[in-house]
Order: sequence, then structure tokens, then C-alpha cells
Amino acid sequence: MASSRRGGRSRITISLLLLSAVLLLTLDGRGSGPIDSVRSAVLTVLSPLGGAATTVASPFRNAWDSAFEQEDLKKENDVLREENDRLKGDITANSIAKEQLQQLLQLVGIPFVGDTPVVHTRVVSGAVGNFGDRIELDKGSSSGIERNMPVVTGEGLIGKVVEVGENRSVVALLSSGTFRVGFSVVGTAAIGVAQGTGSDGSLRGANIDSRQAVTVGAIAATSGLAGSPFPPNLPIGTITAVRTNDAALESTVDISMFANLNDLVYADVVLWKPAG
Amino acid sequence: MDHPAIRYVVVVATAVFLQYTLITQFRIAGVSADLFLVVAIAAGIVAGSERGAVVGFVCGLCLDLLVVTPFGLGAVSGLVSGVVAGSLEGATIYAARWMTAGIAFVASGVGILTFAITGALLGRPDLLSFHVLTVMAVVGASSALLVFPAVRVCRWADPEARLPRAAVR
Repeated sequence: MASSRRGGRSRITISLLLLSAVLLLTLDGRGSGPIDSVRSAVLTVLSPLGGAATTVASPFRNAWDSAFEQEDLKKENDVLREENDRLKGDITANSIAKEQLQQLLQLVGIPFVGDTPVVHTRVVSGAVGNFGDRIELDKGSSSGIERNMPVVTGEGLIGKVVEVGENRSVVALLSSGTFRVGFSVVGTAAIGVAQGTGSDGSLRGANIDSRQAVTVGAIAATSGLAGSPFPPNLPIGTITAVRTNDAALESTVDISMFANLNDLVYADVVLWKPAG
Repeated sequence: MDHPAIRYVVVVATAVFLQYTLITQFRIAGVSADLFLVVAIAAGIVAGSERGAVVGFVCGLCLDLLVVTPFGLGAVSGLVSGVVAGSLEGATIYAARWMTAGIAFVASGVGILTFAITGALLGRPDLLSFHVLTVMAVVGASSALLVFPAVRVCRWADPEARLPRAAVR
């Protein structure tokens, strides 16, 4: 009898907790301010500990990585040596090409970040959870960083700021699929919306008018249309596949990001906010 | 300090500290152990599914504060892990170390799958990719190892808890 009563109470407790979780998910889905504030406060409190722990654990982490990723490191080392040799030869050619590229970017209207101020930051930690969709930067609101500001590397857009503490900020990576970005295909009038697929450096673009000629190898950059949280012309990546649905008059594309999201060390936060 | 709730607060706070500062630094295939799940599972094993659910819910909320996935996903995942661990432990006839490790492996796997499926239902289809299998394997294996010290800690937090086994109920 007592066991049955205990079982009944247990079921009620579990049901109430489940309902509470659903309530929290609903509040978060509707963009509840207090939850964001609490997350920022926790970030501010924990970030000094995280920074110190990263420094202290660094030698042990390196040993751990070399133990579990030795084979990968060997392969990577060989690839890097090859690449290094090739790059040495490319430097001369690139210096000429760079100048041409700058001219080309100006011609098609891609000044990258242009005159918009940026804050240079260091990546201090990766994801706490196992669904690696965020990184932590070593600067925050005291440097002028605010939520939703775009984050770039020298190669292109990598994500946007989702939480800000006084001296820390958290960036949701573009590849994670947590948000969408409007893009345009350079050299065409095609525009669409891209979202991460959860795998590194891979995006899927949709809602493209199929009458627009989009080809593999074309460059996707942020469209910066009205209301977009991103400024126009931040390079995103290269289009690697195009699929057209004639019935729906819509094309979808696969985009390979320019920026390498593995082993990010530095990133720039673009101090840009949408007008209005 | 004698009340189990206070002791559990200390346990969960320690788990937050260790997860944030230490555990996430050591990864296999990009995946680290999940102390929040381990504590939830250990509480379920020590004191049954109800206690496992409560501790798992609180641990999950702590995880939710540290990640950018929808707030509440971690709570659901922790809750489910705690309940599964408590139910499986309660259904066993005798105790064995391999069984405790097995329960931890299964409960953490169920918790992660719950996280991914609920996330996908809430508009994050990327969470339900093949990466989930890697996460389940690595977190499951690490939970199976870490559950033993965690069970000791939970016994310290909850000394009165004695989960009746199926054979003696």
C-alpha cells in the first residue's frame, strides 16, 4: 500500500517536472528576457574560472589530445607540410591575385567589413555541451559587444553573438543551425536563406528563385536585406551543389563555408547593428 | 549541511564547476563526458526514479544555462536519464558493478537521444544528426566509468536513501 502511494507521488513529481520543462521551453521559444539575463549573469560569474582552468589544464589537454588524436595529428602534419610547400610557391602569385581580388570585390560591391569597426577577440573555450554550437570569446560588453553582432574571421562570417557578459561573449556558430542568415549569390540577383546543417562548415540555402542562374562555385555573401541582423557583403562560402525544383520554382543549394571552424583561435566581432 | 537537499546543492554546484572548467577540455572525437547526466543517473541509482528526476531536472537546468540550445532541453534530458536510471536500478534483482555501469550507459544514451529528438521537434533538426551516435557512445562510456564515484557522492548526499529492489518489494 505504502509502495503504491509512493509510486503515485513519484509519478506526480515527475509529471510536474516535465510540465515545468515544457513551460521553460515554451518561454524560451517566445524569447523570454529573464532567461537571457540569467545566462549572461552565469557567464560573467563563471568566465574567469573558465579562463584560469583553460590555462592550467592546457598541458594536460595537449597530452590528452596527442594520446587520442595521434594518428590524426600525423596525417594532419603530413598534409600541412605538403600544403606549406605548395603555399610557399603560391605566395608570389597570391600577392598579385590579392590585388586583383580587392579590385574585383570593390567592383561587385563586397568591401567585406569595410569601415565598420571590429573588436579583435581570442577564443577562450569551445562548447560546454556536446552539440558544439558555440564558442566563447574573451571580450564582452565592456568592449562594446552586444547581442546579435556578427562574428567573422579573416575568411568570412562564422556566427553571431548570442550572450554577452562584461568581459566574455558567447557566439553561436553559423554551422550549428541555431539561426538563419539571408544571403545573395555574388554576380546574380539570386537571394536566399542559409542555415547550418550541424556538420562543420556546411550550410544549406533555400528559398532561391529557380529562374536565377546559380552555378556551382559561385560565392555566397550576406544579403543585408532590411531587418537582417547581418550587414551586407560578409563572405559566407562557396556554393557546392544546386538543386532545382521546377514545380515549386525554387532552388536549394549547399554552401561550404570559407571560414574553418575547427581550432578557431581568433575572431573579430563586427560592431554593427541593423538600422532601426 | 545535514539535509540531503543542501548536500545535493553542493554536489550539483561541484558538477557545474568541474564540467565548465575541466571536463569540457578533454574530448574524444569532439565529445566530452557529461557530469550533469552522471549525477542525475547516480541519484536515480541511489534513491530511485523520483530523486533521479529532481536531481536530473536541476542538473539539466544548469547545463541549459551554459549552452545556447533551447532552455529546458537539458532539463528534460536530465530528468529522463534520472528516471530511467532509477527505474532500471529498481527493476534489478541483485547489484553488480557491471550492471551499474550498464544502467549508466543506457540511461545516458536515452537522455542524449531525448535531448536530440526534443531539440529536433523544437526546430533544431541539426541536433538529430549522426553526431548523436558519437555523443551517445562517448558519453555512455564515460558515464559508465564516472558513475561509481558519483554513486558514492550521492550516497553521501542522501545517506537515508535505500532503493528497494524488485526481489524484496
